[in-house]
Amino acid sequence: MISFITNFTSVIESLAKVHRLLPWLIAYVLLLFLPNLITATFGEYYVDLANRCCLFILLAVGLNIVKGFCGQVTVGHIGLYAIGAVTSALLAQNYGLPFWLSAPLAILVTCLAGLVVGLPSVRLEGAYLALATLGLGESVRIMIAVTPALGSSTGIMMIPAPTIGDYVIESFDHYFYLVMTAAIIGIYFSFVILNSSTGRAFKAIREDVIAASVSGINVPFYKLLAFVISAIYAGLAGALFAHMPPGYLHHNNFTVIEMVTLLLMVVLGGIGNIWGGVVGAIVVTVIYDQTKDYYFYQPLIFGVTMVFLVVFMPRGIGGVIEQAIVKRKFIEKHEEQNLGTS
Amino acid sequence: MDFDFESLLAFIIFGVTIGVVYGIVALGISLIYSGLDIVHFAHGEIYMFGAFLGLVLSQQLGIPYPGAMIGAMILAALLGMFIERVFYRRLTRSGGGYTVAGMGMIICGFGMSVALMNVAFLIWGADAEPFPVDFGIEPLEINDISIPPSYLLTAVVSLCLMGILNYFLRYTKIGLAVRAVAHNKDIAFLMGINVPLFISLIFGLACALAAAAGVLVGPMQSVQVEMGYLMLLKAFAAAVVGGFGSLPGALIGGILVGIFENLGAAYISASHKDIYAFLLLILVLMCRPAGLFGVVAKVKA
Repeated sequence: MISFITNFTSVIESLAKVHRLLPWLIAYVLLLFLPNLITATFGEYYVDLANRCCLFILLAVGLNIVKGFCGQVTVGHIGLYAIGAVTSALLAQNYGLPFWLSAPLAILVTCLAGLVVGLPSVRLEGAYLALATLGLGESVRIMIAVTPALGSSTGIMMIPAPTIGDYVIESFDHYFYLVMTAAIIGIYFSFVILNSSTGRAFKAIREDVIAASVSGINVPFYKLLAFVISAIYAGLAGALFAHMPPGYLHHNNFTVIEMVTLLLMVVLGGIGNIWGGVVGAIVVTVIYDQTKDYYFYQPLIFGVTMVFLVVFMPRGIGGVIEQAIVKRKFIEKHEEQNLGTS
Repeated sequence: MDFDFESLLAFIIFGVTIGVVYGIVALGISLIYSGLDIVHFAHGEIYMFGAFLGLVLSQQLGIPYPGAMIGAMILAALLGMFIERVFYRRLTRSGGGYTVAGMGMIICGFGMSVALMNVAFLIWGADAEPFPVDFGIEPLEINDISIPPSYLLTAVVSLCLMGILNYFLRYTKIGLAVRAVAHNKDIAFLMGINVPLFISLIFGLACALAAAAGVLVGPMQSVQVEMGYLMLLKAFAAAVVGGFGSLPGALIGGILVGIFENLGAAYISASHKDIYAFLLLILVLMCRPAGLFGVVAKVKA
């Protein structure tokens, strides 16, 4: 398993030497055939599941930026997702804006909301921040649940699907191309951010706030930036979710259970590990969907899994695999050196 | 809405009675925070468990109300100690502070809260259950406002509990040890205090307080599975408003949250009632994170 992954990564590395976008393009082209494959082997329902996986990948990657890179504990992320979804849905429904206009506007609104959620982080840390963000996230859900204009108990129905010219993207496999593109671009940009000076500033803040500020990093600015970037991801995911067929939104989609699922994705994959987050998102979404029959036991299982993960495997799947790869590379390098000297 | 002094007074009185309950839950959160340096996210669920245990003890086993309350407190304390011993102990051992280990603590508490809520749901179902108790006293009449006996009793019992806790912490030897552990664990350990045991004790004490709050709230509102989550946020708001680690602060913070919430529900919009506590929380966090009575914590380098 590990040797397969190391071979795989070395192939990708050699491809990336040709051009750094080449592996991404190849992955994109391969993924274009995924809906056909899924429909042929499992059935059309599973394409919808793949769509939801892509949305949660976007959310998990965004949450990883603020939580894993920057080390700010936020548990109100699902509130931002809700804001993105409801804004885009209302703009499309009440003002007749096309998806291509309502989604950017929704992302803009979510950015502002992210700024508001991030503001407490300037003064607070740790558990205080967690509860402040939890309060904000839950306020958003309660606002949606009690305000009739935002859908309240009936939810928002008949949200128009995105269109290109006369063509309406309303089937599951055509929508997949949209969400998959968004997810790939999202993952790519999260790597770009991680490897840029911004990403290094985030990591410096995560490791030690005081040392980071002494090194000349504008700590409040970068904390807010992390929140705003993650809000862009959440807003995009929300807008895509709102317009996804069958075009229906309800505040039950944004409860604390969903937040726990989202947290579980990030924790399972390993906090601060991008590919781990992606794998976690796929695994948890599929398990969540396949165990729908045991709906009443789901929160118990997810909650207990999260507790055990934190206690026994704090670095998650991604962390364990990464460690194994690093160890293997180290051993190989060491053996080569030994051969060279003897 | 026309302004009316009588109804304003009524709202304030009801705000104070529910606020005292927020105060005792906040006190538990504050105790755990000072003892373990964590915010216990599953505290709301302990409160909910306490309410259900009280309901079972008094309705199904026929134990009188005061006995049911004490029984629920003891059972919830045992539950809390179990959770602390089995799960949190490992995490506190592997590192405190607000680094990734601190984040793990928060995520762990979050998962625990959902799991406990689900357990309660599987045992007792999703319906709101009434908790009828006959107190045998007449409603108190002040001018035209009639205060139901459950509200009166809640306020009195909460204040008594706080008084007992205050006495315990200030004037007994065990209370002194608890305060020493909360102040500095290393020095307390060197002074011959069994620190892990006292951390468990603090946890049990806090959980018992939460259970008492649950049993007190039961007769006022109905008992249901989802009651814990909002309570946690409101109690946390109370603890923050009053300042962490301050006993009178938790009480006053709770009362302020209760009044603020009731007045908002009465004069702004009743359906947004649950949001006002968060607004107060965020406002206080932004302006004065140490709370009204807390000490401004210095950042450790």
